[in-house]
Amino acid sequence: MNFKHKYLFLLPGFIVLLGILIFPIGFTVRLSLSSWDSFFPGLDFIGLENYTRLFTDDPRFWESFQRLSFMSVITVFLQYTIGFALAHMVWKEIKFQRFFRVLFLIPMMTTPVIMTVIWKTVFHESLGPVNDFFSLFGVTPLWLSSEALSKVTVIIVEVWQWTPFMFLLLLAGLLSLPKEPFLAASIDGAGPIRKFVYVTFPLMAPISIGAIIIRLIEASKIMDTVYVLTSGGPGTSSETSSFYIFIKGLREFQFGYSAALSLTYLIIMIISLTIIAKMLVKLMIRN
Amino acid sequence: MTLIASNLTTKGKEEFFLNDISFEMSPGKIYTIIGRTLSGKTTLLKTIAGLIAQDSGTLSFNGNNFDVIPVWKRQVAMVYQQFINYPHLNVFENIAFPLKQRKVDLAEIKNRVQQAIEQVGLEGFEGRKIQALSGGQQQRVALARSLVKNANILLLDEPLVNLDYKLREQLREEFKKIFSSKASEEAILIYSTTDPIEAMQLGGEVIVMDEGKILQQGSAKEIYENPATTKVAEITNDPAMNLVDGEISGKKITFNNEVILNLPKHFKDLPDGKYSFGIRASGVTIDKSGFPFQIELAEISGSETFLHLNNDQIHVVGLLDAVKNFDIGETVKVSFDIEKLYAFGSDGILMSSPYSGTK
Amino acid sequence: MGTFYVTLKYTAVTLWSMFVIAPFLWALSTSFKDFNSVTSGATYIPWVDFEPTLEGWRVLLRSPAQGGVNIVEPYLNSIFVTSLASFLSILLGTLAAYALSRFTFKAGFVKNDDITFFFISQRIMPPVVLAIPFFIMLGKLGLLDTLLGLVMVYVVLLMPIAVWIMVDFFNKVPVEIDETALIDGCNPIQAFIKVVLPNSIPGMVVAGLFCMIFGWTDFFFAFILTFTEVQLLPVAIVSLNSSITPWWSLSAAALVSVAPLIVVAFIVERYLSKGNLSGALK
Repeated sequence: MNFKHKYLFLLPGFIVLLGILIFPIGFTVRLSLSSWDSFFPGLDFIGLENYTRLFTDDPRFWESFQRLSFMSVITVFLQYTIGFALAHMVWKEIKFQRFFRVLFLIPMMTTPVIMTVIWKTVFHESLGPVNDFFSLFGVTPLWLSSEALSKVTVIIVEVWQWTPFMFLLLLAGLLSLPKEPFLAASIDGAGPIRKFVYVTFPLMAPISIGAIIIRLIEASKIMDTVYVLTSGGPGTSSETSSFYIFIKGLREFQFGYSAALSLTYLIIMIISLTIIAKMLVKLMIRN
Repeated sequence: MTLIASNLTTKGKEEFFLNDISFEMSPGKIYTIIGRTLSGKTTLLKTIAGLIAQDSGTLSFNGNNFDVIPVWKRQVAMVYQQFINYPHLNVFENIAFPLKQRKVDLAEIKNRVQQAIEQVGLEGFEGRKIQALSGGQQQRVALARSLVKNANILLLDEPLVNLDYKLREQLREEFKKIFSSKASEEAILIYSTTDPIEAMQLGGEVIVMDEGKILQQGSAKEIYENPATTKVAEITNDPAMNLVDGEISGKKITFNNEVILNLPKHFKDLPDGKYSFGIRASGVTIDKSGFPFQIELAEISGSETFLHLNNDQIHVVGLLDAVKNFDIGETVKVSFDIEKLYAFGSDGILMSSPYSGTK
Repeated sequence: MGTFYVTLKYTAVTLWSMFVIAPFLWALSTSFKDFNSVTSGATYIPWVDFEPTLEGWRVLLRSPAQGGVNIVEPYLNSIFVTSLASFLSILLGTLAAYALSRFTFKAGFVKNDDITFFFISQRIMPPVVLAIPFFIMLGKLGLLDTLLGLVMVYVVLLMPIAVWIMVDFFNKVPVEIDETALIDGCNPIQAFIKVVLPNSIPGMVVAGLFCMIFGWTDFFFAFILTFTEVQLLPVAIVSLNSSITPWWSLSAAALVSVAPLIVVAFIVERYLSKGNLSGALK
């Protein structure tokens, strides 16, 4: 179908989006070519200096990428496995099915920041319940102030917060599966494990991929959690890329440089996410 | 109010959906378009409706250029092969929709909808939700909605293909009745199908399509008796017409040196040489004085048995007017009724038929 | 299903449930504490471990001038901004999604999928990238620290979600229904309003739910783009964090902010069981 009216449908949303975005994006590009910071405010033009700097003189940025990849991959992996397991368990008959389903959805409905504030008190090293529990074993893990554990704490909070999202998508997917393949498998004498491996999992492949990609996109933006929980610390051990950009921009006020960082980050993310998406799809097709 | 198409062509990525289609359709007549799947029937119907624009060529209706008139102003009606109705409306509202859209007044709407409901046999169903209806009933609603508009052109795209056999037969009968009343209203009725039997039963003018082209256009009788090419013979017969390569020499027809037949009278003017001979399944049967063939498959259909026979290189489908079981591989004697033989040239064009003799 | 698997199932489900509820219980208990109960070590059960007070809760209703953090106004602000932004996002997003699902666009080498990608890729941008430019832009427009400014920004965040969900939804509605409406005399706009929309309500509800969830839970943009005049709930609550860390009011505020979405959770589960969410992913 092809009618002139099609523009009437597309354009309002498109123009609004483009309109509101065009300035920020354009401005960011322009900003990245300047050295605007709190000492020298104003849009001068320094060419690609910012970019050179970030590629050659900023290990912290690249480390943040490492951390980000590490944390998001682990988080999404955990969220996927746990989410799938939970979805599978409440999929069919189980007592209090309704209750569990609603309960499992709740964390994602909360404001991440707010819950993180609570988590901060939970993981408080001297006054929080977690260490109260651990003190029974004589240990006081430094959830928020040790380099190793700070990442773990962030991951735990993220898993708590966003597993429901996976859970929701995967449960919706499971509920929409056709019955026939399962009946056929039963007739062939397949037990629950075989059914899962050979019927459920493959059928859920497209949905799994979609869910993982969406969750990866969202996970890579982790900011709120880090900001509240650890402020990227201690040191920079839980600093994600977006947090680093935040610091450079809104804490150190190096606007020009952070703009360059932002754009580089954006491009890297778009490229990697597209690659990952394509890889996952190929993986699915092969199986 | 004639519909005239000139050189309609629509191309896909590699294939032609419509390849230089031209025709003239007069009001008050039924046109059956027969073709295999993907032959372009749906594309043609959608082009006439205005949902798709052709790449080149023109459509005119009643002397006016149809191409500049958008779908919603074309006064056409269409019934799809999937049962398409408005899911959020009940039966009455579904049928009334086009009239409401045209701002017909309520009393008249009631009248016309009632009429349409009676025509399709859905009395009492007015308040029902679409989802509660069976396939056949849904299709009747779609049909009623298309009738109620008194459209100039009524398009039906394989409307019965998704219904079960019995229902198809029943609805086909009802269609014929409805159509004859429509025809008197000067509407053009275009019905597409893949089923040759359906095409023949509906009467009306038959248009044979394949790969976007019109292969032959004529009355059902004409197409039956004199299929213009081997393709047409394949498409318009069920089971497909048997086509066997052979040659004529010395007043005899030979298939593959195995089967030797006398020359029928209507072949007498054909020069010697190679031909593609056509014969319907009804012309091939079991006869003890026939040629040995092996049975590949025996299909019982109603009170007849279709036999898939082969003899070395020759594969034909024959018909036994009885119900009998055969073993696969069994050898039987098969005869060919030479009076029913068609001869097609090496280019596939009809050269001689039992009905019209040699061209 | 062997009994081993069943016990495993119930254990796992119970464990996770405890994990889910844990922070809420802690917050609940903490909301009734006072300074001493908090600083002397972890305490749990009211009346057993500590003396409960309602101070934490009262603080929420007092205005800042009286030493409290009034969260009523931020609450209402959040509701207003989220609802308006969701509404606009669904409105514009559904229209755009319909166009992308039904029609073909071609402007040079840019085609439908690219345009859809453009919409959806907005989600890849971390808030931080847009924060500064938005800050400057809203400043120039005089919309900093205003509800409308925030709505504008949220629409950018939420429209992609609406588009993503609705495109998939529309792809599942047979195009023949649109075509029939056209044949019946509707122009494309009427066909959309009279026939497609009434059948898209489930999709729009889902889109609405997701928009509300993502809108309500935003912190960052509200944080950057509003200060004193306008405060959204998440910001108000986090601002409690930076002062004397009054755990009690923090917990109370957190619980209050979470309550409405529990209702949403019920609604989502309803829809889930009716099988309406499955499509959004392909």
